[in-house]
Amino acid sequence: MFELKPMLSALWRNKVSALLIALQLALTLAIVSNATVIVKDRMEKVARPTGMDVGNIIAATYMPIPTDYDMAGAVIADLDLLRNTPGVLDASVTNQIPLSGSGSAGTYFNEPNQEIGGENANYYQVDSHFIDTLGLNLIEGRNFTPADEHVVGPNDRHHSEVAVISKQFAEKLFPGESAVGRFFYAGNTDKPVEIIGVVEQHLGAWPGWSRAGNVVFYPLLVTDNHKRYLIRTEPGQRDAVFKEVEELLNNRDPQRVVQVETLSKNLERTYIGDNVMIKVLSLVMALLTFIVALGIIGLTIFWINQRTKQIGIRRALGATRANISRYFLIENSLIAGTGLVLGTAGALIINRLMVSEFSQPTLTLPLLAVCAIVLLLVSITAALMPAMRAANVSPAMATRSV
Amino acid sequence: MIGYYISLAMRSLRGTPILSALMIAAIAVGVGASMTVLTLNYMMSQNALEHKDSVLYAVQLDSWDPNQAADTANEIPWQLTYPDAIALLRSDIPTRQVAMHRFGFTVNIDESELRPFTANTRVTTRDFFSLFDVPFEYGGTWNKEADTAAVQSVVLSKETNDKLFGGENSVGKIVKLNGEPFTVIGVLKHWNPSPKIYDLNNNPFADSEELYIPFGLHRKFEIYSWGNTNGWTSRTAEGAEGYERFLLGEHVWIQYWVELDNAEQREAYEQFLTGHIHQQKEQGRFERPLKFALSPPSEWLVLNEVLENDNRVLGWASLAFLLVCVINAVALLLAKFLRKAPEAGVRRALGASRNAIFTQHLIESSCIGVLGGLFGIILALAGLTGIRVLAMGQADQIAAMNWEMMLAAVGLAILASILAGLYPAWRISRTNPSVYLKTQ
Amino acid sequence: MLKMQNIRKSYRTDTIETHALRDFSLEVNEGEFVSVTGPSGSGKTTFLNIAGLLETPTGGQYLLDGQEVGNLSDSERSRLRNEKIGFIFQGFNLIPDLNLFDNIDVPLRYRGFNAKERRRRIEKSLEQVGLSARAKHLPAQLSGGQQQRVAIARALAGEPRFLLADEPTGNLDSLMARQVMELLEFINEWGTTIVMVTHDPELARRAQRNIQIVDGQVSDLRQTIAQPEAAIA
Repeated sequence: MFELKPMLSALWRNKVSALLIALQLALTLAIVSNATVIVKDRMEKVARPTGMDVGNIIAATYMPIPTDYDMAGAVIADLDLLRNTPGVLDASVTNQIPLSGSGSAGTYFNEPNQEIGGENANYYQVDSHFIDTLGLNLIEGRNFTPADEHVVGPNDRHHSEVAVISKQFAEKLFPGESAVGRFFYAGNTDKPVEIIGVVEQHLGAWPGWSRAGNVVFYPLLVTDNHKRYLIRTEPGQRDAVFKEVEELLNNRDPQRVVQVETLSKNLERTYIGDNVMIKVLSLVMALLTFIVALGIIGLTIFWINQRTKQIGIRRALGATRANISRYFLIENSLIAGTGLVLGTAGALIINRLMVSEFSQPTLTLPLLAVCAIVLLLVSITAALMPAMRAANVSPAMATRSV
Repeated sequence: MIGYYISLAMRSLRGTPILSALMIAAIAVGVGASMTVLTLNYMMSQNALEHKDSVLYAVQLDSWDPNQAADTANEIPWQLTYPDAIALLRSDIPTRQVAMHRFGFTVNIDESELRPFTANTRVTTRDFFSLFDVPFEYGGTWNKEADTAAVQSVVLSKETNDKLFGGENSVGKIVKLNGEPFTVIGVLKHWNPSPKIYDLNNNPFADSEELYIPFGLHRKFEIYSWGNTNGWTSRTAEGAEGYERFLLGEHVWIQYWVELDNAEQREAYEQFLTGHIHQQKEQGRFERPLKFALSPPSEWLVLNEVLENDNRVLGWASLAFLLVCVINAVALLLAKFLRKAPEAGVRRALGASRNAIFTQHLIESSCIGVLGGLFGIILALAGLTGIRVLAMGQADQIAAMNWEMMLAAVGLAILASILAGLYPAWRISRTNPSVYLKTQ
Repeated sequence: MLKMQNIRKSYRTDTIETHALRDFSLEVNEGEFVSVTGPSGSGKTTFLNIAGLLETPTGGQYLLDGQEVGNLSDSERSRLRNEKIGFIFQGFNLIPDLNLFDNIDVPLRYRGFNAKERRRRIEKSLEQVGLSARAKHLPAQLSGGQQQRVAIARALAGEPRFLLADEPTGNLDSLMARQVMELLEFINEWGTTIVMVTHDPELARRAQRNIQIVDGQVSDLRQTIAQPEAAIA
């Protein structure tokens, strides 16, 4: 390290250029580390299990044209038709389609007649085939039986005596105990609902909701002006069945409008915002690193050209090729190191703002360290090519006038 | 002299193609990324009602849970209950006022090949069109009585009229909604503001409704909302059963806007709202402290956070990215200019002033900016296409560049490159020329 | 033409101050051909830079063509340099990526002449140095002597009254050096004042007057004996 002092004074003479490189690296670290923590957070969010066999499920919504329409009768006939269609494993009726962004929620209590301290949950009005159709994992208790199912008019007061709920919601209502056989109350009421079963996971209508995963299912058919079916197909059969569903339902009864969608599409649509964040920020990080690397290559080449004669003199005085390469690599590392130290401070300050102003996740030190090391490696790699070239300068350059 | 400097700049750029390409690429990428995100943010922040900002107000009343404030930016529910909307409609203080919400119908016409379809429908009072400057192609809105009585009239959007009647004047024709006959009384011109400022619930960038029907039809068709219905109690008017239990219940689902043309009118209306809340308090409603809000369109967009935190984060990230690109360009320009310092020295000896040298180099960096800006537009267009694909059709209206944004892109690129060129050009213009004139 | 009185010039670095010129006084008359000699580091180049308005003295008075130039702004000095002074350098200092025409064009551009006037002057000065046929060539395509002739053409295109030459023949072989020297003498005969820095005593003697700078001061103001024939031999 005998070269350190002359190296520092050489750097000092090129302080503006060196500072510009350091500044670029500092900003890059600040941006990349904060972007990484956001991307990581979003990827985890998108990768959360939905609890459903999303890839094999089709959802159909239908609206009858006449106002006086036998909804309950139509549902029975439609489900019968769908369940007997080749390629279909099971079909179920529901008031809302999971992952669609459309849904209902209520406030629930574990005591009667409460006004405050309730827990919010997404609720669905379904039938006894629902759990199998979605491929939900019933981990405790039992499924609904046809005997549990009730049909009510859209304006009727209705009350279900039993419900299946998600494990997450069960733990909120009855922390640390089994929820099966216990009762809860929907809103400020004294009518108990018995929990007969618990499913492992179900993300509900809004995966982005702060309480996503709190879900209640009631065995209920409300005959309002539209109904929805969920259809689970055999693996690989979804697209074939998808093409048939609208025709199938319309052929049975043309007096209605049918719309068909897949749960995969819904799930994708749910995460549009997160996907945009992941893709845009990843692209920004990649381009940023690339641009900074190009900048380092450009400047290192420039410096080496400027000092060709100096390198020649060093070579003439006995410096080996390795000495020369090492000189430029150490010089580059010094600059990069300074930049990354500045960047660490910048990253932490920016993250504070991100957390407080834009409710983004907190940056952890290990993640920051990883980003800094990656950038250091990128910077050294970028300097490597020109530094190797510098080592090839002939000692004869010393005697040549430029 | 500018022409001379530009020709020198182009010559200089051609002289060092790789370094020049690198700088142009840095500026282009920086501008491309920031213009992609800024275009998106700009389009998302559009206010289609800007010209009515001083007279139009969204009305909010705090009828919420006494135990817990509403979960909105100003802790007042976004929408009103039906009974409150009906009570407000009775006031004659506002010049115009609108109570409305989204709904859906099946649509078909007799003796038509066209398959029945479902249509997004706006259930509204008659002033909707004049209040929000919605242009009519044919006919017009319904009479005042239709706001309270069941009159089966419908206004079609241009697109719906094209679909149903091939774009001809369909006023007077019959359309079946949920199987019931409705008379067409108006057809709109194309109208699709984005964001959909009059109803920011659900997706603010969704298309405008396909049908518009009078507000007096609720009971006849037992109309619920196809937007958000939020409630905190199942309490409802005494004795109400069936649909009335919903209609008169304590949940909010009606959007309400008023036009108040001057301060006196506004003050009078505020007094009216205060009076209404006091009156309701006597009947056991509005248990929270008296609170209401009248927000002009510009504030309404901010309150509703149409521009989300994520958009802001991307905005800042893209600007920071541009900053790095600018710093990169500063470093490269400095290197390039210093390499050309001997030429600057000769020019100084031949009579160029420092200012002349400075201008020459600043123009050279501006040329890089113009080229970077042009490539930046292409990159931004590609970026916006990418966003449209990622958004699965939901951003088609906002992820699009107009001429102004393209000019802004070039402007941003020139600004960035001038900023980048400022120091290197200053530095080269200050260098002592004699150093470079002496042969070593 | 040029009058310097008690000119001082010192350079400061972080640690030391060097005096390049100390109490330097000199007068050059209109139409004179003066050579400046002196050992390396004596201040010849500093003198030339100050005379050519490329540097400002630390102290003293400098009158160019009767005008005090000490307090002029950069653009005024640049204007004066452009109009009154021509430079010739040892290394020619042609701009490598401009062809001969465009090189000569440089000072005329700063002068603000229109395109027609510039073309007239460029063609005329190229003709004077005998390189009209090569106007579109790049400097690198020319020999050293030709390059120096282009540099002279460039210095002359603005019709300056005062020509400063810094070792104009230093990079040339003797034959070319002689050609360049003859060209300078020819120019001088037409009335242009020339100050030439050189360390070639032969060349120095060809000037009407030789000044020697030692340690930043004029050491000898004696008139050289005009012996052109002897110098050539």
